[in-house]
Amino acid sequence: MLRKILLGALGTLIIATGCTPTKVVVPLEEGQWQIGVTQGRPQINEGYLPVIGAYAAKGVSATKTNYGGIQFSSLLLGAVQLEGGQIRSWIPQDGLMPGVSWGFGGQAFMSTRDYAFRFYPEAGINAYWQKGPHIVNASANTWVDPTWFLADFGRGQILAPSFSAGYRLRYKWFEAQLEYKILNPTREIHIPQAYVPNTSGLGGKGFFYGIAINF
Amino acid sequence: MKKFLFIALAAIALSSCADVSGALFAGGDGTYDFKNTYLDPEFQVDESKIHLLDLESGTQDTIYALYVGDFAQIATDTIIVFLHGNTPSMDSYWQTAGLFANLVNNHHYGFIMYDYRGFGWSTGRSTGAESMAADYDAVLSFLQSQGLTSERMVVVANSLGSLPAGPAAAGGSRIPVQKLVMEVPQSTANVIMQNATGLSLPASMITSYKFDLGQNMEDYTGELLWMHGTEDAVAPIETAEAAMQKHQGTYYQEAVYDGAGHGLRWDIGDEEWSKVVLDFIRH
Repeated sequence: MLRKILLGALGTLIIATGCTPTKVVVPLEEGQWQIGVTQGRPQINEGYLPVIGAYAAKGVSATKTNYGGIQFSSLLLGAVQLEGGQIRSWIPQDGLMPGVSWGFGGQAFMSTRDYAFRFYPEAGINAYWQKGPHIVNASANTWVDPTWFLADFGRGQILAPSFSAGYRLRYKWFEAQLEYKILNPTREIHIPQAYVPNTSGLGGKGFFYGIAINF
Repeated sequence: MKKFLFIALAAIALSSCADVSGALFAGGDGTYDFKNTYLDPEFQVDESKIHLLDLESGTQDTIYALYVGDFAQIATDTIIVFLHGNTPSMDSYWQTAGLFANLVNNHHYGFIMYDYRGFGWSTGRSTGAESMAADYDAVLSFLQSQGLTSERMVVVANSLGSLPAGPAAAGGSRIPVQKLVMEVPQSTANVIMQNATGLSLPASMITSYKFDLGQNMEDYTGELLWMHGTEDAVAPIETAEAAMQKHQGTYYQEAVYDGAGHGLRWDIGDEEWSKVVLDFIRH
């Protein structure tokens, strides 16, 4: 069982490091808070294991929302992973024409074993359709690896992109989120003696669930 | 800023000591039912030469080893020390034992393999470099007591076995390694992390087990045979190649097979596999 848990956590690191769940697609109202937990559902072999992260977001203006989060899956294995960033409205939704938001931020990792540190800036863009409490989105995001040259044997890559589509129900104080992500489709993801479902032999993929409260 | 510092410190305090290496070791039950019944006809052995040994590893654990041959052979003949791959026990390598016992002719070479801690009947749990080195040393201690010397020892490491074999070859073996076969080896702990995430993250984010076969090969002065398949999905050939080619020792040979996977011997056939290994041993 321990082996399954640790393998699940490692699998979640694929998700957690390829990208974390999209926290906010449509910026919050000014002064509004959102606190949520996300459950990464990385697929390795045929199994899934629930490993969670948590985040908080606040609408700092009508068009800007700041967020910060932590990944518990990384903590399980001895790495502190914190993230933060901002989502901004770009184009408001106009009927069937989707609204567009974009965001930027960063992910920081620190090993509690030897205090090795990595920081990955990230940027993303979301197209969304909102009708009442329903929000449907399609998103693209990329992490930038400024220390790609530290990868062994020169196998680092500067960009780690991901693509996702999701649905979220934002009803009064409650929000539920479902998202499907294709991760790192520019390189082969590999875990020894495990099968990582992929797209044409590249990347990984998985579902994310999240619940949040707004206040 | 204060909030961020608080969260960061709280995260460090909450962090777990779980180590992913525990998940990567696939130790399990073993039957140790080593009989000719389960061997192909060409790999049959003299059943009186099958010896199951229990050896003390470290201060608390007992590991089990299988020796095929006469004990007296250890002081006079070439002995193959086989470090098996990531299967629950050495049961899976009984055919391999039969093959080595019939290399050249029946019982020409002595053969020994063993289960790491947590594999088969071996007690305890494999946790990383320290436990793997202690298990290897327990076997070498036995062989040394029986009279094995460096020039008659051939270490053959398959997949996971490459992890203890690397540091052993690099100077960590009580009987210095002069001939080493690395069959479908891994490369570095960092590569496993980086292949799993696509980022430049070091292995220390998930494990204390920091193996680096590239560095080991750089430090190894003896002879090396590296065998690999181009379609290996468990130990990617690109990084294994980069690690093995750091070898600066007295002799280097590689045998790379198009289309072969991690089960190299099954993919290329016993005949080809035996020929390459035997040529190297006799080199």
